[in-house]
Amino acid sequence: MVSVDRPTRGYRVFQGVNGLILTGVVVVTLYPFLNIVARSFSGERQIRAGEVTLWPKGFNLTTYEIVFQDGTFWRNYGNTVFYTVVSTAIAMVLTTCYAYVLSKKHLKGRGVLVGIAVFTMFFSGGLIPTYVLITSLDLKNTVWALALPNAISVFNLLVMKAFFESLPDELEEAAQIDGLNTYGILFRIVLPLSKAVVATMVLFYSVSFWNSWFGAFLYMDRIELMPVTVYLRNLIAGATGGTAAGAGTEQLTQVAANIQAVTIVLTALPILCVYPFVQRYFVSGVMLGAVKG
Amino acid sequence: MKNAAPLSRRQVLAAAGFAGLAALTGCGSGDDGGDSKDLSKKRDGAMKEYRTGQRFKAAKPLSFSLLHLSNPNYPPKDDWLLWKELDKRTGVTFERTDVPLSDYEKKRSLLIGAGDAPLLLPKTYPGQETPFVASGSVLAVSDYVELMPNFRDKVRRWKLTPEVDSLRQSDGKYYLLPGMHERAKANYSLALRTDVLGRLGLKPPSTLEETAEVFRALKSEYPGSHPFSDRWNQPEPGGALLGYIGQAHGVRAGWSYLNTSWDAKAGAFVFTGATDGYRQMIEYLRGLVDEKLVDPEGFTQSDDEAVKKLLSEKSFAISANPQELVQNYRYNLQRQVEGAKIEMVPVPLGPAGPVVLGGSRLENGMMISSDALDRDDFVALMQFVDWLWYSDEGQKFTKWGVEGVTYSESGGGYRVADGISLMGSDPDAPKDLQKDYGFYNGVFSYGGSWELVSSAFSPDEKKFQEVMSRREQLPVDPAHPLQSVEQEQATLWDTPLKDHVRQNTLRFILGKRPMSEWDAYLTELKAKNMDRLVDVHNKAHERFRKEQG
Repeated sequence: MVSVDRPTRGYRVFQGVNGLILTGVVVVTLYPFLNIVARSFSGERQIRAGEVTLWPKGFNLTTYEIVFQDGTFWRNYGNTVFYTVVSTAIAMVLTTCYAYVLSKKHLKGRGVLVGIAVFTMFFSGGLIPTYVLITSLDLKNTVWALALPNAISVFNLLVMKAFFESLPDELEEAAQIDGLNTYGILFRIVLPLSKAVVATMVLFYSVSFWNSWFGAFLYMDRIELMPVTVYLRNLIAGATGGTAAGAGTEQLTQVAANIQAVTIVLTALPILCVYPFVQRYFVSGVMLGAVKG
Repeated sequence: MKNAAPLSRRQVLAAAGFAGLAALTGCGSGDDGGDSKDLSKKRDGAMKEYRTGQRFKAAKPLSFSLLHLSNPNYPPKDDWLLWKELDKRTGVTFERTDVPLSDYEKKRSLLIGAGDAPLLLPKTYPGQETPFVASGSVLAVSDYVELMPNFRDKVRRWKLTPEVDSLRQSDGKYYLLPGMHERAKANYSLALRTDVLGRLGLKPPSTLEETAEVFRALKSEYPGSHPFSDRWNQPEPGGALLGYIGQAHGVRAGWSYLNTSWDAKAGAFVFTGATDGYRQMIEYLRGLVDEKLVDPEGFTQSDDEAVKKLLSEKSFAISANPQELVQNYRYNLQRQVEGAKIEMVPVPLGPAGPVVLGGSRLENGMMISSDALDRDDFVALMQFVDWLWYSDEGQKFTKWGVEGVTYSESGGGYRVADGISLMGSDPDAPKDLQKDYGFYNGVFSYGGSWELVSSAFSPDEKKFQEVMSRREQLPVDPAHPLQSVEQEQATLWDTPLKDHVRQNTLRFILGKRPMSEWDAYLTELKAKNMDRLVDVHNKAHERFRKEQG
């Protein structure tokens, strides 16, 4: 066993500088977000005067109240949760199965299967043909219009495939000898060992489904079917387009002043809450996939 | 590991893919046979005798699909009185496709492109219909206006024929039923701190000369400030300001700038950015900037910055529209500056005299999907559109609702009923005319008779619009539809020319380019195909005149 030397002077200086720079990076990254949070709780005059930095000034909840009072907001928020959960579940099942199959080197036609997936990375049907397809499959105005076309992200698929390939073959051979069939191996051996990559993929998928608005905008014909992203996008367009109406003048200027900040806080908050819990999987998951390309 | 000869399989797969693609593109060519002008078999639910002044009532219940813009301030609800009352009065219900305001145009293009468009496509501004004409997916409504007595009546009574003619495409037909105003409605003008003017013994200016005088007086009182610091610089610098100063010089500038404009005296199209009027407009503003009466930052700064300067008394004048005047400037000034007053003046008169630009009486209007023609209830559809969007009764209904329930009318004035608020008129009211009843809804309600349009004006706006509406309207550009090849070529020339004009307008005004270089500027425009662009439009005009008489 080699004894660990005391850190040299150079190393300590390096660490100091390193810490300083990274603190700077943290501040630079965190500041805009804190500023947004502060603005979302601030009064309109203070925002216009540029007084708001890190802490709310002229505490004001009008915009939140207006957004919260609206039944459409809650319904659309519920839609977002529903769409995200369903889409992520479907995406996880399909991506896992596809990636597992592709990770088997003895599979005949593996190249073709990979090719089909990669092909869609570079070429797509285009907006109108895709729309026609979804419409003629009668998927419009259902969750399937959002879940199915985006069920497999090729990037996620390849990361997962690489992860499965990195698992030792011997494990599966042993399981086979003990009498497990393909599905048994997948569910009892491979998946329990793949929590890291599964958690990462769940995070990737759910964030992308949570944030997406374009699919819903295309395929949903009723306001009550829209996710909250479309609702907020529309709200911003209304508040900044000078056509805002229905609220009193005082409310109006307040809403116009910080609607964007409120929006960002409301949409980012739930996802932010998820991050800390999957963080550790997240790091190891991405690393594992990346090293074994 | 054995390689599984992927090449041949890939080829098979690719071939299959292409076959599928071909099959997809192959389908969708519908037959449009039959005589489209024979409407005798398409009269399901229609009224036998339908005239102006008569309410449309379907002979049997009908349902039409409608592209419905969802305004975030009043998102559509199924229980709106609007729908119920409409059903009761006309027997028509809508199948709505709700589209968020934020991306209305995108979705409309997509739906039309995919052949999935609803029958009625409202909220379409003049010119927006052009891209859809060639595909045949939009109905040539001009062939069927005989079914629309109210529409024809308004065009005749309000003398809108030149405006409507300007919508004609190269086949001589028009594809958009425009929204129409009886009188032109102005939007932007100058607002000034009248309390400060009063203190200095000045009157609100009515001409450009007087405006400069007022600015000079303000400057000598507050030497450190720029009396006028403006906003609305996106996407054009000085978009609103150039618009109304240009109007005073009889040219389109700022937001309303178009490369070609009609010169009634010469009887031909000319290049707007090279006209004398345009030059005079530049020289006027340049003079103001030169005397430091106008803030040079006013052509680039954000709206917020401009308003901030007004509120902190670093400036005393700003461009305004009636809503911003009341809801933003006056409201905020009163909270921040004691005794502050701000008023909007009618657009100051310039060399062109008391005029407003032509074409401003057309509003957003309605496209109808050409699928409508295949329906048995086509005639009823046209009659219904005519009644709801063009009859006095229909327009009043969609704007104010049901008399005695949502509003009352007396002596030409309209009032919302007690307990109902309209755009913040009564913050304590439990109900809102737009949110809870669906009236005053931008999808149905815009334009109309002056009596109806002005019924909702605030006192400020009424005063402003009264003056503006008495001004003479400049002639509308005559129809000069380009053919598709010309259109493509013109678009290629259009944008660089527009950019060059925009850039140099700003440089001349701010004094970064001497006026002695005006001729050099004209040469640059020529090098960018100015003359050829004007030529194309003049030729199209000639051709159209010969063909259509």
